[in-house]
Amino acid sequence: MLATVGKQLRSHPALIPLFIFIGGGVVMSMSYLARLAIRNPDVCWDRKNNPEPWNKLGPTDQYKFYAVGIDYKKLKKEGPDF
Amino acid sequence: MAHPSQLGFQDAASPLMEELLHFHDHALMIVILISTMVLYIILAMVTAKLTDKLVLDSQEIEIIWTVLPAIILILIALPSLRISYLMDEINDPHLTIKAMGHQWYWSYEYTDYEDLGFDSYMTPTQDLTPGQFRLLEADHRMVTPVESPIRVLISAEDVLHSWAIPALGVKVDAVPGRLNQTTFIISRPGVFFGQCSEICGANHSFMPIVVEAVPLQHFENWSSLMIEEA
Repeated sequence: MLATVGKQLRSHPALIPLFIFIGGGVVMSMSYLARLAIRNPDVCWDRKNNPEPWNKLGPTDQYKFYAVGIDYKKLKKEGPDF
Repeated sequence: MAHPSQLGFQDAASPLMEELLHFHDHALMIVILISTMVLYIILAMVTAKLTDKLVLDSQEIEIIWTVLPAIILILIALPSLRISYLMDEINDPHLTIKAMGHQWYWSYEYTDYEDLGFDSYMTPTQDLTPGQFRLLEADHRMVTPVESPIRVLISAEDVLHSWAIPALGVKVDAVPGRLNQTTFIISRPGVFFGQCSEICGANHSFMPIVVEAVPLQHFENWSSLMIEEA
Protein backbone atom coordinates (compact mmCIF):
# COMPACT_ATOMS: atom_id res chain seq x y z
CA MET A 1 0.00 0.00 0.00
CA LEU A 2 2.88 2.30 0.75
CA ALA A 3 4.28 1.63 -2.72
CA THR A 4 0.99 2.76 -4.28
CA VAL A 5 0.95 5.92 -2.18
CA GLY A 6 4.59 6.60 -3.05
CA LYS A 7 3.88 6.21 -6.78
CA GLN A 8 0.92 8.56 -6.62
CA LEU A 9 2.94 11.08 -4.66
CA ARG A 10 5.63 11.14 -7.30
CA SER A 11 3.12 12.25 -9.93
CA HIS A 12 1.52 14.80 -7.56
CA PRO A 13 4.41 16.26 -5.56
CA ALA A 14 2.20 19.06 -4.24
CA LEU A 15 0.75 16.60 -1.77
CA ILE A 16 4.04 16.10 0.03
CA PRO A 17 3.63 19.11 2.39
CA LEU A 18 0.20 17.73 3.28
CA PHE A 19 1.74 14.46 4.36
CA ILE A 20 4.43 16.31 6.30
CA PHE A 21 2.01 18.51 8.26
CA ILE A 22 -0.65 15.88 8.89
CA GLY A 23 2.00 13.31 9.75
CA GLY A 24 3.70 15.79 12.06
CA GLY A 25 0.37 16.56 13.73
CA VAL A 26 -0.35 12.86 14.26
CA VAL A 27 3.12 12.24 15.70
CA MET A 28 2.89 15.22 18.05
CA SER A 29 -0.58 14.40 19.34
CA MET A 30 0.15 10.70 19.81
CA SER A 31 3.39 11.42 21.63
CA TYR A 32 1.65 13.92 23.93
CA LEU A 33 -1.03 11.33 24.63
CA ALA A 34 1.64 8.76 25.43
CA ARG A 35 3.40 11.27 27.70
CA LEU A 36 0.15 11.89 29.54
CA ALA A 37 -0.50 8.17 29.91
CA ILE A 38 2.96 7.40 31.25
CA ARG A 39 4.06 10.52 33.13
CA ASN A 40 0.88 12.20 34.37
CA PRO A 41 0.49 11.74 38.12
CA ASP A 42 -3.29 11.58 37.76
CA VAL A 43 -3.03 8.25 35.92
CA CYS A 44 -2.85 4.95 37.85
CA TRP A 45 -1.68 1.84 36.00
CA ASP A 46 -0.64 -0.41 38.87
CA ARG A 47 -3.26 -0.61 41.56
CA LYS A 48 -1.24 -2.91 43.77
CA ASN A 49 2.22 -1.33 43.84
CA ASN A 50 1.52 2.31 43.02
CA PRO A 51 -2.14 2.96 43.79
CA GLU A 52 -2.25 6.76 44.11
CA PRO A 53 0.67 8.41 42.32
CA TRP A 54 -0.81 11.88 42.84
CA ASN A 55 0.07 11.67 46.50
CA LYS A 56 3.77 11.38 45.74
CA LEU A 57 4.42 14.81 44.23
CA GLY A 58 7.09 17.02 45.76
CA PRO A 59 7.15 20.83 45.54
CA THR A 60 9.93 20.84 42.94
CA ASP A 61 8.29 18.33 40.56
CA GLN A 62 7.27 19.72 37.24
CA TYR A 63 4.62 17.50 35.76
CA LYS A 64 3.27 19.97 33.24
CA PHE A 65 4.76 20.13 29.81
CA TYR A 66 5.84 23.73 29.73
CA ALA A 67 6.76 26.08 32.58
CA VAL A 68 6.22 29.68 31.51
CA GLY A 69 7.24 31.68 34.53
CA ILE A 70 8.09 29.45 37.46
CA ASP A 71 11.45 28.01 38.24
CA TYR A 72 10.41 24.77 39.86
CA LYS A 73 13.75 24.26 41.57
CA LYS A 74 13.10 27.29 43.75
CA LEU A 75 9.74 26.23 45.18
CA LYS A 76 9.51 25.04 48.76
CA LYS A 77 6.98 22.89 50.52
CA GLU A 78 4.47 24.97 52.46
CA GLY A 79 2.47 22.48 54.47
CA PRO A 80 3.53 20.22 57.35
CA ASP A 81 5.32 16.90 56.79
CA PHE A 82 3.23 13.87 57.62
CA MET B 1 -18.42 46.78 34.24
CA ALA B 2 -19.49 46.90 30.61
CA HIS B 3 -20.63 50.11 28.95
CA PRO B 4 -24.04 50.12 27.27
CA SER B 5 -23.90 48.37 23.89
CA GLN B 6 -20.27 47.37 24.48
CA LEU B 7 -19.09 44.71 22.04
CA GLY B 8 -15.48 44.09 23.07
CA PHE B 9 -13.85 42.95 26.28
CA GLN B 10 -13.80 45.07 29.42
CA ASP B 11 -10.51 46.80 30.25
CA ALA B 12 -8.11 44.36 31.84
CA ALA B 13 -7.57 44.65 35.57
CA SER B 14 -5.18 41.74 35.94
CA PRO B 15 -2.00 40.75 34.07
CA LEU B 16 -3.62 37.55 32.86
CA MET B 17 -6.54 39.40 31.30
CA GLU B 18 -4.05 41.69 29.52
CA GLU B 19 -2.42 38.61 28.00
CA LEU B 20 -5.81 37.29 26.96
CA LEU B 21 -6.67 40.61 25.32
CA HIS B 22 -3.41 40.65 23.34
CA PHE B 23 -3.92 37.08 22.22
CA HIS B 24 -7.48 37.86 21.18
CA ASP B 25 -6.22 40.83 19.14
CA HIS B 26 -3.63 38.59 17.47
CA ALA B 27 -6.11 35.83 16.60
CA LEU B 28 -8.79 38.26 15.49
CA MET B 29 -6.34 40.10 13.22
CA ILE B 30 -5.49 36.80 11.51
CA VAL B 31 -9.18 36.00 11.13
CA ILE B 32 -9.93 39.43 9.67
CA LEU B 33 -7.05 39.20 7.20
CA ILE B 34 -8.12 35.76 5.99
CA SER B 35 -11.77 36.74 5.72
CA THR B 36 -10.95 39.92 3.80
CA MET B 37 -8.79 37.96 1.39
CA VAL B 38 -11.53 35.38 0.82
CA LEU B 39 -14.15 38.08 0.31
CA TYR B 40 -11.93 39.81 -2.22
CA ILE B 41 -11.33 36.57 -4.12
CA ILE B 42 -15.05 35.81 -4.21
CA LEU B 43 -15.88 39.27 -5.55
CA ALA B 44 -13.05 39.12 -8.10
CA MET B 45 -14.22 35.77 -9.42
CA VAL B 46 -17.85 36.75 -9.55
CA THR B 47 -17.24 40.00 -11.41
CA ALA B 48 -14.63 38.68 -13.88
CA LYS B 49 -15.77 38.50 -17.49
CA LEU B 50 -13.13 36.02 -18.74
CA THR B 51 -12.76 32.38 -17.73
CA ASP B 52 -9.69 30.18 -18.23
CA LYS B 53 -10.94 26.69 -19.08
CA LEU B 54 -7.49 25.17 -19.60
CA VAL B 55 -5.93 25.36 -16.12
CA LEU B 56 -6.50 22.00 -14.50
CA ASP B 57 -3.91 21.78 -11.73
CA SER B 58 -0.83 23.48 -10.42
CA GLN B 59 1.66 21.95 -8.04
CA GLU B 60 3.10 25.25 -6.82
CA ILE B 61 -0.14 26.81 -5.64
CA GLU B 62 -1.18 23.56 -3.98
CA ILE B 63 2.02 23.58 -1.96
CA ILE B 64 1.52 27.22 -0.99
CA TRP B 65 -2.03 26.80 0.20
CA THR B 66 -1.10 23.80 2.29
CA VAL B 67 2.00 25.22 3.91
CA LEU B 68 0.72 28.74 4.59
CA PRO B 69 -2.37 27.72 6.62
CA ALA B 70 -0.24 25.27 8.60
CA ILE B 71 2.17 28.08 9.47
CA ILE B 72 -0.72 30.37 10.41
CA LEU B 73 -2.18 27.71 12.68
CA ILE B 74 1.16 27.23 14.41
CA LEU B 75 1.39 31.00 14.91
CA ILE B 76 -1.99 30.91 16.63
CA ALA B 77 -1.34 27.76 18.64
CA LEU B 78 1.95 28.80 20.25
CA PRO B 79 0.71 31.94 22.07
CA SER B 80 -2.49 30.11 22.94
CA LEU B 81 -0.64 27.27 24.66
CA ARG B 82 1.64 29.75 26.41
CA ILE B 83 -1.32 31.56 27.95
CA SER B 84 -2.96 28.28 28.84
CA TYR B 85 0.08 27.17 30.83
CA LEU B 86 0.44 30.66 32.31
CA MET B 87 -3.07 30.41 33.74
CA ASP B 88 -2.17 27.25 35.65
CA GLU B 89 0.90 28.65 37.36
CA ILE B 90 1.26 28.62 41.13
CA ASN B 91 2.23 32.10 42.19
CA ASP B 92 2.46 31.95 46.00
CA PRO B 93 -0.75 33.72 47.04
CA HIS B 94 -0.76 36.18 49.92
CA LEU B 95 -4.41 35.59 50.77
CA THR B 96 -6.90 32.77 50.36
CA ILE B 97 -10.61 33.49 50.07
CA LYS B 98 -13.37 30.92 49.81
CA ALA B 99 -16.31 31.80 47.58
CA MET B 100 -19.31 29.52 48.03
CA GLY B 101 -22.27 29.64 45.67
CA HIS B 102 -25.77 29.29 47.04
CA GLN B 103 -29.19 29.74 45.56
CA TRP B 104 -29.12 32.71 45.03
CA TYR B 105 -26.19 34.54 46.62
CA TRP B 106 -22.46 34.17 47.16
CA SER B 107 -20.77 33.84 50.53
CA TYR B 108 -17.14 34.72 51.14
CA GLU B 109 -14.91 33.38 53.89
CA TYR B 110 -11.56 34.90 54.83
CA THR B 111 -10.19 32.36 57.26
CA ASP B 112 -6.42 32.86 57.01
CA TYR B 113 -5.97 34.79 60.23
CA GLU B 114 -9.39 35.21 61.87
CA ASP B 115 -12.83 33.83 61.10
CA LEU B 116 -14.45 36.29 58.75
CA GLY B 117 -17.44 35.27 56.66
CA PHE B 118 -20.36 37.09 55.10
CA ASP B 119 -23.03 36.71 52.46
CA SER B 120 -23.30 38.84 49.36
CA TYR B 121 -26.83 39.37 48.05
CA MET B 122 -27.75 41.46 45.03
CA THR B 123 -29.00 44.95 45.82
CA PRO B 124 -32.67 44.94 44.69
CA THR B 125 -33.45 47.48 41.99
CA GLN B 126 -35.77 49.52 44.19
CA ASP B 127 -33.01 49.93 46.81
CA LEU B 128 -30.37 51.29 44.44
CA THR B 129 -28.94 54.72 45.18
CA PRO B 130 -28.22 57.08 42.24
CA GLY B 131 -25.02 56.07 40.46
CA GLN B 132 -25.26 52.38 41.31
CA PHE B 133 -25.56 49.71 38.62
CA ARG B 134 -28.76 47.72 38.23
CA LEU B 135 -28.47 43.95 38.73
CA LEU B 136 -24.72 44.28 39.39
CA GLU B 137 -24.41 45.78 42.86
CA ALA B 138 -24.29 43.63 45.97
CA ASP B 139 -24.72 44.49 49.62
CA HIS B 140 -21.29 43.17 50.70
CA ARG B 141 -18.35 43.34 48.32
CA MET B 142 -15.45 40.93 48.31
CA VAL B 143 -12.66 43.28 49.30
CA THR B 144 -9.11 42.34 48.30
CA PRO B 145 -5.70 44.01 48.53
CA VAL B 146 -4.45 45.38 45.23
CA GLU B 147 -1.32 43.97 43.50
CA SER B 148 -1.22 40.87 45.72
CA PRO B 149 -1.62 37.34 44.40
CA ILE B 150 -4.92 36.07 45.71
CA ARG B 151 -6.14 32.51 45.72
CA VAL B 152 -9.90 31.96 45.54
CA LEU B 153 -11.31 28.53 46.35
CA ILE B 154 -14.70 28.13 44.78
CA SER B 155 -17.41 25.65 45.55
CA ALA B 156 -21.18 25.48 45.86
CA GLU B 157 -23.57 24.49 48.58
CA ASP B 158 -26.50 23.34 46.47
CA VAL B 159 -26.45 23.42 42.66
CA LEU B 160 -23.91 24.40 40.03
CA HIS B 161 -22.89 28.04 39.90
CA SER B 162 -19.94 29.79 38.30
CA TRP B 163 -17.82 32.61 39.73
CA ALA B 164 -16.89 34.93 36.92
CA ILE B 165 -15.34 38.41 36.67
CA PRO B 166 -14.65 39.46 33.06
CA ALA B 167 -12.28 42.31 33.94
CA LEU B 168 -9.94 39.91 35.73
CA GLY B 169 -10.27 37.11 33.17
CA VAL B 170 -11.68 34.73 35.78
CA LYS B 171 -14.46 32.22 35.32
CA VAL B 172 -14.49 29.15 37.55
CA ASP B 173 -17.35 26.71 38.02
CA ALA B 174 -18.72 26.23 41.52
CA VAL B 175 -19.50 22.53 41.77
CA PRO B 176 -21.09 21.12 44.93
CA GLY B 177 -18.76 18.64 46.56
CA ARG B 178 -15.72 19.91 44.67
CA LEU B 179 -13.18 22.62 45.38
CA ASN B 180 -11.87 24.59 42.41
CA GLN B 181 -8.95 26.97 42.73
CA THR B 182 -8.03 30.10 40.84
CA THR B 183 -5.33 32.68 41.48
CA PHE B 184 -5.14 36.20 40.17
CA ILE B 185 -3.45 39.54 40.81
CA ILE B 186 -5.50 42.73 40.55
CA SER B 187 -3.31 45.41 38.95
CA ARG B 188 -5.24 48.53 39.93
CA PRO B 189 -7.66 49.61 42.67
CA GLY B 190 -11.29 49.60 41.63
CA VAL B 191 -14.60 47.81 41.73
CA PHE B 192 -15.05 44.88 39.36
CA PHE B 193 -18.35 43.22 38.64
CA GLY B 194 -19.29 39.78 37.45
CA GLN B 195 -22.37 37.62 37.27
CA CYS B 196 -23.12 34.00 38.05
CA SER B 197 -22.25 32.05 34.90
CA GLU B 198 -23.95 28.70 35.33
CA ILE B 199 -27.73 28.31 35.29
CA CYS B 200 -28.85 27.68 38.82
CA GLY B 201 -32.56 28.36 39.06
CA ALA B 202 -34.98 31.22 39.18
CA ASN B 203 -32.58 33.95 40.31
CA HIS B 204 -29.52 32.87 38.35
CA SER B 205 -29.31 36.33 36.75
CA PHE B 206 -29.63 38.04 40.12
CA MET B 207 -26.60 36.87 42.06
CA PRO B 208 -23.76 39.15 41.03
CA ILE B 209 -20.16 39.10 42.22
CA VAL B 210 -18.51 42.36 43.23
CA VAL B 211 -14.77 42.54 43.94
CA GLU B 212 -13.32 45.72 45.39
CA ALA B 213 -9.55 46.07 45.19
CA VAL B 214 -8.07 48.49 47.73
CA PRO B 215 -4.60 49.29 49.07
CA LEU B 216 -3.39 46.92 51.75
CA GLN B 217 -3.94 49.35 54.64
CA HIS B 218 -7.56 49.86 53.62
CA PHE B 219 -7.99 46.11 53.35
CA GLU B 220 -6.67 45.60 56.88
CA ASN B 221 -8.99 48.33 58.22
CA TRP B 222 -11.94 46.79 56.41
CA SER B 223 -11.29 43.30 57.71
CA SER B 224 -10.90 44.53 61.31
CA LEU B 225 -14.19 46.38 60.96
CA MET B 226 -15.96 43.34 59.51
CA ILE B 227 -14.68 41.09 62.28
CA GLU B 228 -15.89 43.54 64.96
CA GLU B 229 -19.31 43.81 63.37
CA ALA B 230 -19.84 40.07 63.35
